[in-house]
Amino acid sequence: MTQLIVSGVTLTFGGLHALSNVNITIEPGLITSIIGPNGAGKTSLLNCVSGFYHPTKGEIKYGDRRLTHASPHQVSSIGIARAFQNLELFRGLSVLDNLLLARHQKLRYNILQAIIYFGKASRVEAENRAYVEKVIDFMELELYRKKTVGNLSYGIQKRVEVARALTLAPKLLLLDEPMAGMNIEEKEDIVRFILDLKKEWDITIVLVEHDLGVVMDISDQVYVLDFGEVIGSGKPKEIASNPEVIKAYIGEE
Amino acid sequence: MSSNRWLATGNYFTSYREEQRIFFTSLDRAVMGFFLLCLFVWPIFIDVDNKYMLVIDNILVAVIAVMGLNLVTGFAGLISIGHAAFVGIGAYTIASFSRVLGESHVLLTHAWPVMIIISGMVGAVFGAIVGLPALRLKHLYLAIATLSFQMIFQWTINFMDFFNQGQTISVGRVAWLTGTVSRDQHYIFWYYAILVFIVLTGFSVRNLLRTRYGRCLVAVRDNDRAADAMGMHPGFTKVYAFALAGFLAGVAGALNAYIYRGVGVESFTLHASITYLAMAIVGGLGTLHGSFWGPAAIKVLDLQVEKLAEWSATFLPANMNLATALKPLSFGLVIVLFLMFEPRGIANWWRIFRSYVKLWPFRY
Repeated sequence: MTQLIVSGVTLTFGGLHALSNVNITIEPGLITSIIGPNGAGKTSLLNCVSGFYHPTKGEIKYGDRRLTHASPHQVSSIGIARAFQNLELFRGLSVLDNLLLARHQKLRYNILQAIIYFGKASRVEAENRAYVEKVIDFMELELYRKKTVGNLSYGIQKRVEVARALTLAPKLLLLDEPMAGMNIEEKEDIVRFILDLKKEWDITIVLVEHDLGVVMDISDQVYVLDFGEVIGSGKPKEIASNPEVIKAYIGEE
Repeated sequence: MSSNRWLATGNYFTSYREEQRIFFTSLDRAVMGFFLLCLFVWPIFIDVDNKYMLVIDNILVAVIAVMGLNLVTGFAGLISIGHAAFVGIGAYTIASFSRVLGESHVLLTHAWPVMIIISGMVGAVFGAIVGLPALRLKHLYLAIATLSFQMIFQWTINFMDFFNQGQTISVGRVAWLTGTVSRDQHYIFWYYAILVFIVLTGFSVRNLLRTRYGRCLVAVRDNDRAADAMGMHPGFTKVYAFALAGFLAGVAGALNAYIYRGVGVESFTLHASITYLAMAIVGGLGTLHGSFWGPAAIKVLDLQVEKLAEWSATFLPANMNLATALKPLSFGLVIVLFLMFEPRGIANWWRIFRSYVKLWPFRY
């Protein structure tokens, strides 16, 4: 199992420091949460890891591979998948197509085989479909398989978003606020999925979330960001009693 | 196997491969097969004037070109207003061979299927080169970049002696198993030739669209950020979309050169580009069968307007040429009406018609 190490990452936009000297280690097989007030740089950090931003300074390593200057499709090809905070689904397509799309790099046939279709391409596509079905089954999306994504409710779309990331067969899953705007039942569903993913699929999970109740319940490790800096890290219990964190969240007297 | 392979009712899938078929029921496949058969045998029973055969040939060539345009603009969402230039590249590939080897060289007359494929490949190479700005440009800016390619193409042809400065470069008569194709067989011969090309390219594109090479186009259109995160290289995908479009356009161009037995720049001007775009829109962007409806609709409209003008000449003064006025007018009107009332094109009518027939006699 591989570790994701973010060391000394600084990200600046002009004069604005989105992240400054962030050091984070994501241990394999655990659920690591990143919390912090709005604008603390949580999403920026995920963007750095998944290749949408490149850090101004510092280094990101996954195992022995440097991700500092990798682009998103390179990152996804080495087993790091990302679910977006604001839904970035392919809205005009069905749930099924959204998931089939995600396996792009895993499908091994060339364009001539694709044109002929019979033979290799059809076999690989059937395998692809079978894999996608496994994900659909796990995420309980059977009802929506053929529905157009844009017409589904927000909660379901969020679930499709997570499912699409899962279809990449990642070893490390970055979830950016998967529970934002959900009601309690939908949240419970997502939490159940996350716990199962860790236990049954052996996927390391990085969770960015605002719901502190959830974070404290399911995380193995918590990092707290504020104004682009890590102000606390540790087990949920330690975080809950960390005066710095309390200050950032509740404010000073 | 499903229990009933002929009707949609009671037809269930037992493997994923069945679900990915083009034709879900044997009935669909039989209807399609019958339709294709009809396309091949009707000229035997119905005698068509050469003038109308040329129109039909033109429609079919436009179908191939619009299929390419539909891939890049409809499926990949990259507006291209230089498509006629790609078609021109294909035609001028044939013309170049004709200039260098002589118009009746054995390569041009006997190996014409090979020449057509080569033209397609040259088109693909140019498509990829023109697609390079797509790495940086999006939306309207990209459209302007393709427009500039159209301009460059026209200028190059118009100013190069090698291309006869845009004047016609003739191409020899082709030979078939029965010998050289004669004047009165010409159009009917090319009808069959183009039909074969359409069936091949049509099924190829259909197959492509259900594999990763087609899905990546749609992904990049809908959300290129997410496509990137899902492991597709958005830039490469866009260049690849242009190359595909260039290939089909090149094939269409070569066919065009052979039908007219000559290549002149006036068939590949900006106006032709816009016509292709109009055909794609009227047919239905982002649908494969839209590429068939569009050219047919526009060309038939042209024909009808011509007929109307001819008829009106019987009572209007002779110096009043109604056709020149009516052609652009009707063309523009059709585009505007479609954009306003049916942006999804004739393909959408077809979809509605199909579901109506499927449910008949019930309403829903």
